[in-house]
Amino acid sequence: MRSFRNLTIASILAGSFLLAYSCTPGACFDEMTAFMKTSLYRDSTGILTAPDSLSLWGVGMDTSKIYDAKKSLKQAFLPLDDSSVKCKFTIMINGVYDTLTAWYSSYPHLISKECGYTFYHDLDSVHTTNYKIVKISITKNSITNLSEENIRIYY
Amino acid sequence: MKKTYAYIISLLVLLSTGDMMAQKPAAAAAEPPDTVVFPLAIRAGIDFAGPVIYLIDKNNLTAEGYLSADLNEKRSLYFGGGYANYKYSQYNYSYRTNGMFIRAGIDFNLLKPKTSMGNYWAGVGLHYGVSVFTYEIPELSQESYWGTTTTSVPSQSHWGHFAELTPGFRAQLFGNVSLGWSLSLRKMIYSGGSKDTRPIYIPGYGLSAKTFSTGINYFIVWNFRYKKINVIIKKEPPEEPDENVAPQTNSGSGNNQKMEP
Repeated sequence: MRSFRNLTIASILAGSFLLAYSCTPGACFDEMTAFMKTSLYRDSTGILTAPDSLSLWGVGMDTSKIYDAKKSLKQAFLPLDDSSVKCKFTIMINGVYDTLTAWYSSYPHLISKECGYTFYHDLDSVHTTNYKIVKISITKNSITNLSEENIRIYY
Repeated sequence: MKKTYAYIISLLVLLSTGDMMAQKPAAAAAEPPDTVVFPLAIRAGIDFAGPVIYLIDKNNLTAEGYLSADLNEKRSLYFGGGYANYKYSQYNYSYRTNGMFIRAGIDFNLLKPKTSMGNYWAGVGLHYGVSVFTYEIPELSQESYWGTTTTSVPSQSHWGHFAELTPGFRAQLFGNVSLGWSLSLRKMIYSGGSKDTRPIYIPGYGLSAKTFSTGINYFIVWNFRYKKINVIIKKEPPEEPDENVAPQTNSGSGNNQKMEP
C-alpha cells in the first residue's frame, strides 16, 4: 500500500509538471513575412552573381528604400503588399533603373499560436522593363516564409 | 495563477485520498478470502477543474463530465463529453472557438480487487474523441513595408478526431461519492480546417499545434451500484517461520536466548 501511495504522489507530481509545461507561454521565433525571394543571375554566364550595386524600393515609396546601393547581394527579398493584387518595384542594378511588376493573390496563413498569422501569396506573373534586366522567370509561384527562390532576374 | 491552482487541487485530492487509503477495513486485514464480493457500479462524474480555471481565466471555459459502467472488476465502459469555449488575442490577431466534444472507450483498473473493493480505482483509460466546433478570426493584422493590412476570417465549422490515454486515480470520499483525478495524454488524428487557417484550439483536445496535448481533470463522482459479483483472488500463502530465528525457551532466569545456527 505504501508503494501504491508513492506511485500516487509521483503521478500527481508528474501531472503537475506536465500541466506547468503545457501552460508555459511560448515565444515567436519564426519569420513573419513571406518575401518574394529574387535571385540575381549574370545573363552572359548564367551564374548566380551579385551586381556591383543594387538599390530597390516600392514605386511611390521612394523615401523608404528596401536596399540602398547594396553590394555583394545575390538574393533580394521583396515584400509584397498584402492588401493588393499587384506590386511595383523600382530596381537599380549597377546604376541603371528598371521597373518590376508582380501580380499575385494573398491569403492568411497561421504560423503558430505565438506568432499569429501572416499572408502567403500565389504569384501569377511578373513583368519587368529591360534597361539593365535581360529577362525574368518564375521558379516557384508559392510565396511563403520558407527559404525558397521564387523568381530569377538575369541582368 | 492557473498553475498554482492546479497544484492546490492536486494536494487536496492527494490528502483526502491518502486518509481514506489508511482506513483499511479490519475484516479484510484479518484473513484473505478466496473470493471477494466486488460491487459493480455505474458512475457519473463532473469535472470541477474547468469551471474553477474559468473563474481565473475568463477566456477559457471547459465544462465536461462522464458516465462509466463497470463490465467487471477490471474493465469499465467510458462515455464522456463536454463543451469548451476558448478565446485568445494578442497584438496581431484574435481568435475564438467553441464546440462540443465526446469521448468513448474503456477504463482499466490496475488495482487488485481486494484493494479496490469498488471504492478505489487506479488505472488507465483508452478513449477516442470527436470534437465538433466552430472557430473564427475576428481580427488579423499584418505590418509590412507597404503598411498595415487588416482582415478577418469568418466563422467556419469543422470536426476533429483524437485518441486519448488517461492514467488516473479515484477514491471513495463518503457514501456513494468519490473524488478523483486523471491526466490526459492526447494524440491528434485529424484537426480539421485548411492547412493555412487550421484551428489553434480544438475543444476536448486543446492546442492543436502540438502533436500531443496534455491535460488534467479533477472529478467528483457519484457511484450507483447495480450488481455484486464474486471475484476469485489468489490466496496469499501463510507466513513461514523465519528460519534464522530459533525457537525460544524459558531458561528460568527470564532471559531469552538466541541459538546460533
